[in-house]
Amino acid sequence: MAIKLSRRQFLAALAATGLSLRMPALMAASGEKAIARPIPSSGEPLPVIGMGTWRTFNVGGDQQLVQERTGVLKRFFELGGTLVDSSPMYGSADEVMGEALDTLNAHDRVFAANKVWTRDGNATREQDRASRRKWGIDRFDLQQVHNLLAWESHLETLKQMKADGDIRYLGISTSHGRRHRDLATIMEQEPLDFVQLTYNVLDREAEQRLLPLAKERGIAVIVNRPFQGGGLFRRYQSEPLPGWAEEAGCSTWAEFFLKFIVSHPAVTCAIPATTRVEHMEENMGALYGRLPDDEQRRQMADYVAGL
Amino acid sequence: MIDGDWLSYSLSDFLMFGPEVFLRLFVRINQDFWPWQGIALVLLLVVAGLLVRGDTLAKRGVLLLLAAAWVGSGAGFLMEYYGPINTPAIWFGWAFILQAALLTVAALVWPWDKTTAGLARRWQAGIGWLVMAALLPLLVVVQSGNWHALALFGITPDVTVAASVPCLLLLPRRVRWLFLLLPLLWSLFSAATLWTLGTRLMFVLPAATLVLTIACFRFSPRPGKSQD
Ligand SMILES: NC(=O)c1ccc[n+]([C@@H]2O[C@H](COP(=O)([O-])OP(=O)(O)OC[C@H]3O[C@@H](n4cnc5c(N)ncnc54)[C@H](OP(=O)(O)O)[C@@H]3O)[C@@H](O)[C@H]2O)c1
Repeated sequence: MAIKLSRRQFLAALAATGLSLRMPALMAASGEKAIARPIPSSGEPLPVIGMGTWRTFNVGGDQQLVQERTGVLKRFFELGGTLVDSSPMYGSADEVMGEALDTLNAHDRVFAANKVWTRDGNATREQDRASRRKWGIDRFDLQQVHNLLAWESHLETLKQMKADGDIRYLGISTSHGRRHRDLATIMEQEPLDFVQLTYNVLDREAEQRLLPLAKERGIAVIVNRPFQGGGLFRRYQSEPLPGWAEEAGCSTWAEFFLKFIVSHPAVTCAIPATTRVEHMEENMGALYGRLPDDEQRRQMADYVAGL
Repeated sequence: MIDGDWLSYSLSDFLMFGPEVFLRLFVRINQDFWPWQGIALVLLLVVAGLLVRGDTLAKRGVLLLLAAAWVGSGAGFLMEYYGPINTPAIWFGWAFILQAALLTVAALVWPWDKTTAGLARRWQAGIGWLVMAALLPLLVVVQSGNWHALALFGITPDVTVAASVPCLLLLPRRVRWLFLLLPLLWSLFSAATLWTLGTRLMFVLPAATLVLTIACFRFSPRPGKSQD
């Protein structure tokens, strides 16, 4: 006798086997809700996995690679992602993102995050305009001062731009644990919507001061270098996941690394970068299912430290 | 960036692209240039022939052809293909064009004298150079595993620079340093890039060029009999 299963029952059965944890596509298709966090300054929900473009989208005029990266972006949107982060510092990444958005006709789907990266404190609007032209959009959702470069003057202009409705949110970025003390001072004194910083299962300095401060001040946190620029995979991918990983909602190392990050209560979203569709699918797995609790987060950090 | 912050940076923090994109530059330029690669091959043979001939006219010819090769790899590969993914490549592109201008001046107006007459062992020089210039392009082929990535003299910068440096020995030592500055800078830049990219086989190319360039600052070949 053939057993008839509804789509919901089928997915529930898959979930019971743990299989669906490996299939973000299925989860997205089943209508399972992507995990989202509110941006504190507005309450607008943001999916906890976004994507970065450093190195990965700097492919110049290589049409074959532009097409391949467009495929990566397409999968990102299909699996429920919205926030894409770039910078004028990333070579041709802005142009390539513009081409990809055009091809996918996805200008309305993207939460567009860019940066101002110039020593010229008066060039904020000019650089914002140039990046907008490359992306083919009317305004960026988020504009950040890149690496605190000439931050005083850029931030003043960004405040004005936000007041004028030329951007929706403003922020400031750093990475590799650089200038955390300066960043903390800025977070204490300035009305930031977002900060962007490096935080992952190995680089945890942000837990000391910046993440609690962001929570206290109501600042959204974007986490860059979630895989230490790929170093975490090179180091740990050949190791087995711990037996309890599934209980913590992780069936791959990608989910393990990303869910460790986004389960921190102060983190709003992580922005892994990839050139490959199958890696994007793995990474977007972290947008669904359970998140580890405090005890499991401790276990995760200890497990990696012990390898 | 504040003082001391520099210490936290490594070379890889400045690398804006991965090996896949870089190696495809060679494939792309060959695809776009097809079927004109023949010109680059003729260039090789003519330079080798002129080295064998070795008289003043031939030397002027070699320098002119080198100038053409520097313009080709600078304006083409560096500015059109490499520049969009790595801004310093555009600056190097302009520097390559400047180097070509210098070579042209040397070729056309340098008052050659007896001390810069033909090289000794001209046949060895010509054939040795041809073998080198024909084999070096294969390094990129082996690195990428793709025949279409053949890095030809006059089209791609590393091979152009590597094959040019020995020819610069034709110039008298008192002016040669001026022509060796850019090969020195380029080799340093390229070696650092290729090392960071992890394309270790290709790294051999600028690394060897660097050693050769430094040697050329000091070394002068034994002059042969004048052919004039
Ligand atoms: N100061 C700043 O504002 C700043 C600084 C640094 C970064 N950022 C932002 O943060 C983003 C992320 O940081 P990042 O790009 O430096 O590093 P990352 O996201 O930590 O790592 C990217 C690397 O991980 C690999 N990877 C991704 N998913 C994988 C998977 N599932 N399995 C195996 N390997 C995988 C990628 O290789 P494949 O291509 O092979 O997948 C790539 O080499 C950047 O793109 C940028 O937007 C901002």
